[in-house]
Amino acid sequence: MKVVELLGIRKVIGQEEILKGIDLWVEAGEFVAIVGASGSGKSSLLYVMGLLDKPTSGEVFFEGQRVDFSGEKELSVIRNQKMGFVFQFHYLLPEFNLLENVILPAIKRGMMKTEAQERAYELLKRLGLGGKERRKIYQISGGEMQRVAIARALMNNPSLLLADEPTGNLDSKNTRAVMDIFKEINAEGTTIVMVTHELDLAAQAHRIVEMRDGQVVRA
Amino acid sequence: MRHVAFVAFKLLLERKRQTLVSVLGVSIGVSAFIVMSSLMIGFQSYFIQQVIDLEPHIRIKPREERTDFMFEEPVLVLGERLKEKDKILGWYEIMQSLEKHPEVLGVAPRLVSRGILKYGVKDKPVTLLGIDPQREPKASIIEKFLIHKNLKKLETNRTGVILGVLVAKSLGIQEKGKKLLLVAPNGQTLLVTVEDFFESGITNIDDARVYLNIKTLQSLLDRQGEANEIVVKIGDVNRAEKISRDFQEIIPYEVESWQRAYRNFLSIFKIQNTITYMIVFAILTVSAFGIFNIIMMTVLEKKKDIAILMAMGFTRRDVLLIFMVEGFVVGLLGALLGSVLGYGLQEYLESIKLDVEGLIRTKGFVLDRSPLFYLYALVFSLFFSLLASLYPSYRASRLNPVDIFRSQ
Ligand SMILES: Nc1ncnc2c1ncn2[C@@H]1O[C@H](COP(=O)(O)OP(=O)(O)OP(=O)(O)O)[C@@H](O)[C@H]1O
Ligand SMILES: [Mg+2]
Repeated sequence: MKVVELLGIRKVIGQEEILKGIDLWVEAGEFVAIVGASGSGKSSLLYVMGLLDKPTSGEVFFEGQRVDFSGEKELSVIRNQKMGFVFQFHYLLPEFNLLENVILPAIKRGMMKTEAQERAYELLKRLGLGGKERRKIYQISGGEMQRVAIARALMNNPSLLLADEPTGNLDSKNTRAVMDIFKEINAEGTTIVMVTHELDLAAQAHRIVEMRDGQVVRA
Repeated sequence: MRHVAFVAFKLLLERKRQTLVSVLGVSIGVSAFIVMSSLMIGFQSYFIQQVIDLEPHIRIKPREERTDFMFEEPVLVLGERLKEKDKILGWYEIMQSLEKHPEVLGVAPRLVSRGILKYGVKDKPVTLLGIDPQREPKASIIEKFLIHKNLKKLETNRTGVILGVLVAKSLGIQEKGKKLLLVAPNGQTLLVTVEDFFESGITNIDDARVYLNIKTLQSLLDRQGEANEIVVKIGDVNRAEKISRDFQEIIPYEVESWQRAYRNFLSIFKIQNTITYMIVFAILTVSAFGIFNIIMMTVLEKKKDIAILMAMGFTRRDVLLIFMVEGFVVGLLGALLGSVLGYGLQEYLESIKLDVEGLIRTKGFVLDRSPLFYLYALVFSLFFSLLASLYPSYRASRLNPVDIFRSQ
């Protein structure tokens, strides 16, 4: 089954055509790496795939359903229940402790707080953050922050995890830890699309998609 | 809504300093509103209440313009000729017909004149009110203002007088029983005895009025059986103007309601209210700008957080509500704190003992402590807070997460 499928996706910003007709799909259970030079359109592609950005033309299918980009509510529900995002920057909320950051997507979904906290405890423990749940984000390291962000992305048990250079800010040890987590959850069934410009990381994925100048040159 | 509250309250709690500053801003506006309203309305309703109790609700007097003594220096011109028209013909019949009106509670005749009181070397120009001690209490609440409640003495002692406290003070009289000389405009004099003092708190009245028996004044002025004023008390004071217009149709003299007699004051009060509420409005506007500023700053500072919230499924509406809830809570907390502050200030002002000497004389501030002011303050502060947070919240909800992710 295709988790997400892009057909003829074009994105034009101003005069510039950032995505020039992209056809690409990701099968359930896959771990796909997107590589390419800086400015080749990797992030832009990921935003369309994550239903965050409306393509200028072309169609997106998510789990077989055509996505209507004009329905903000429906897009939000899909992102909330089916997708997880991890970026180079952690985007954790400084006012919230680790636990509260992690449960946010579940609270939005309507899960009871105690139930969400139980799951968040488990996730944090699994990601090596056991015992630090009540800390504020400025009380943990950069590698730990990124793992909290991953825990948050996994909170609602998404079918698709989208990661844009998730290890971009990390040292090799933390990078390895993140990759191990990704491979582990992928093995458990979560589909992953990860943008990276490090080829050795890309090599650990099932499939490498290469972009150049707004086009997919290898899928 | 739970997710909105979760984020909004967390932001408020964790950004204590900002929250506190904006709550304080609102509470100052709220307490200012409460205290200024209670002071101003308190003073005004005290004044109006005294006027209503003290002055005839409706007064009937000869048409010839006799300036109201409230606005006139009671300067006496000795030997002033009595104005022929300064009387009401058939006053007894008029009174009888007025008494039949269902809204009239009481009617009394008066003879009003100027005079001078002499005590030792001091003298004092005054307004002499000749009253019928039987009828007068039915037509005005004069007894309430008498220190010794000796109105009835005017019946038995035909030379008894009741002095306004400030009249007494300027003559140097402190107790009743003192004898003084009353000089009428026609030059006639009479030795009178102080039977009581009269204190309304309204300076102009206490400083001019002297009550005596109408018969005494009639014979002093050589105007036997005459009256130049009829005073009427009615059930609903707010209908005085309407009823006075009805009376005017059938009575060939001037009929004046208390509202018309005091229209200058009532319109000054209106101006006073307008100015005060403009000031309070300005304070509330300033605190609304405070809220606006702080929420706008929060929004600009938290663009990244808004972007990730949207990525994880918060809708634009959720984001709008998060910041509107912040504004609402700040307004609510500000109103509560402001009410407590306002209450404290009211308590303090009420506890101060000082001699107010102005339009009215009291032993402190007269406050109207109506709970309505608290309610209005709550409504205003919520309204202003929501208004102030509307634009920043809207801005937050229109952020495009992709723009923010790209710019990192
Ligand atoms: N708002 C914008 N207006 C105009 N051009 C833009 C805008 N945002 C991105 N671009 C252009 O779109 C192209 C693709 O950008 P994108 O961020 O997708 O590249 P990328 O492959 O993710 O690069 P990097 O590896 O540096 O993150 C770039 O040439 C960039 O300059
Ligand atoms: Mg990029």
